[in-house]
Amino acid sequence: MKLLTHNLLSSHVPGLRPGGGFPLRIELGRPSELPPEPLPNYEADEEFLRRLHHVLLEVEVLEGSLQCPDSGRRFPISKGVPNMLLTEDEA
Amino acid sequence: GPAAAQEGAELAAVIGATVPTGFEQTAAEEGQEKLGSASRISRDRGKIYFEVAARSLPQVHRLRSVDNLFVVVQEFKDYQFKENKEDALKDLEDLVKKLPWTDPLKVWELNNSLKKKKTKRKKHNPQSPASREKLSDGGEEGGADQSNTNDQEDCAQTPVSVEPAGGQDSENPQGVTSRNGVEEEEENEQSDVKVEVQASSESGAKAGDGQTGEGEAKVLRFRVTCNRAGEKHSFTSNEAARDFGGAVQEHFQWKADMTNFDVEVLLNIHNNEVVVGIALTEESLHRRNITHFGPTTLRSTLAYGMLRLCDPQPTDIIVDPMCGTGAIPIEGAAEWPYCYHIAGDNNPQAVKRAANNICSLLRKSESKDSSTAQGIPLDIIQWDICNLPLRTGSVDVVVTDMPFGKRIGSKKKNWDLYPACLMEMGRICTPGTGRAVLLTQDKKCFAKALSRVGHIWRRAQTVWVNVGGLHAAVYLLRRTWERAEDRKSFW
Repeated sequence: MKLLTHNLLSSHVPGLRPGGGFPLRIELGRPSELPPEPLPNYEADEEFLRRLHHVLLEVEVLEGSLQCPDSGRRFPISKGVPNMLLTEDEA
Repeated sequence: GPAAAQEGAELAAVIGATVPTGFEQTAAEEGQEKLGSASRISRDRGKIYFEVAARSLPQVHRLRSVDNLFVVVQEFKDYQFKENKEDALKDLEDLVKKLPWTDPLKVWELNNSLKKKKTKRKKHNPQSPASREKLSDGGEEGGADQSNTNDQEDCAQTPVSVEPAGGQDSENPQGVTSRNGVEEEEENEQSDVKVEVQASSESGAKAGDGQTGEGEAKVLRFRVTCNRAGEKHSFTSNEAARDFGGAVQEHFQWKADMTNFDVEVLLNIHNNEVVVGIALTEESLHRRNITHFGPTTLRSTLAYGMLRLCDPQPTDIIVDPMCGTGAIPIEGAAEWPYCYHIAGDNNPQAVKRAANNICSLLRKSESKDSSTAQGIPLDIIQWDICNLPLRTGSVDVVVTDMPFGKRIGSKKKNWDLYPACLMEMGRICTPGTGRAVLLTQDKKCFAKALSRVGHIWRRAQTVWVNVGGLHAAVYLLRRTWERAEDRKSFW
């Protein structure tokens, strides 16, 4: 799973408050080489953009999980594929 | 056909391409973009023609809309068939020695040398994950190579008679671009192509590449494939193939061989339009009835056509929420690398196969370009279409092959599934600018479901296609400006 995908994902466990499913917490991973906030005028900063592109599109989570921020429910990631299926009881 | 090449003139050709019916315009556009040449769309559905320099052949082969290619020997726009069968067939026989074979055969030879350079491009190992070139998809159909021996066939006007298991849909959609009448029957025939050639076929001998160079006159093996459609012919395609084949054998002194041939001569008869050609591609792999990649893998040419219909723009997020083995997103990532493609399915087998297909795509791109060829804009997730874990309004394009009642699930299930799908796809799609391109055979069910979600989806265009002998439709929908609420209140 790439970081850009994670950007679009939201937990759909029933009963969450609006927006309560985003963002999912990625468990596992290495610290990012990016600064915590984009610097002003980041659009012109080629070096920053390269590192951003790398982190968004070229780094993959292979094993780990995504945790719903409100409910704590974990969705496993295995071999790079997140399993976002809810169980029969949950749905 | 092209005039014979003069001294020093460059070898040119008219190349015919078979494309998924309904996507002729799409194919013509791709040809314009990538070859820089305009094309003619034939009245014989599923075929377009390009005039190109023979040296452009490699580019023609790389067109993603094209299933098969042939070089035109000669076209007759208005061939007058004699009413009497014997006379009509004799005319066809006599035609052979008058045709301008020389240049087309040169093109065929040139094409062979191209084929030699490609290693196993067309023949891929069924056990391995599919290459992106053509995902084999067992049973998916359409195609020009089968003979049509139905003398009543008149594909221009007659409403289609659907095979017994399917229901004929009486819906009248807007924006119909073409109606397909022919391939239906062809799919019902056995997969053995109905070609007739006089001499007994040789068995055991392997077909060579048919190179006749080095001054040595090698005897070529050939067969004739005839497609015939129209009401007014006094003969069948079998008879035409047989007699035309006999004359070809006379003229060239080639050996007839139905299975191990070097040259495949095509005789396409569509009412009064007759086209004689020589095949440049082998019979499409998707023609075989094997299902190495899943029961409903979509032809990559059809996937390509569907994606083009979405008009993908750079940075668009494109999602296939029922991706199966991933034909559409894989085609998407390969051809539209400036978009971001997300594939998903609830079936773990499908997800696994799609992930494998993606891996092999990644490995191919890595081997080509040693400097970091990572970062294919494609990801895969296991999810439920009715409850997508995607943020509201976050997706630009939804493109998918909806489950057909007959192949997966059941028609009854579709009644509930389709509305739920359309709602959820509407939720994730960006209001106003978002669009969906959906392929389905269950047109009644789809129309009904669509009528319930008119506040989020508007139908923009319908393309009639043929998938595995079934009449299907591709719907282009546009997302209205109405915003979707958060999940609970939306329902």
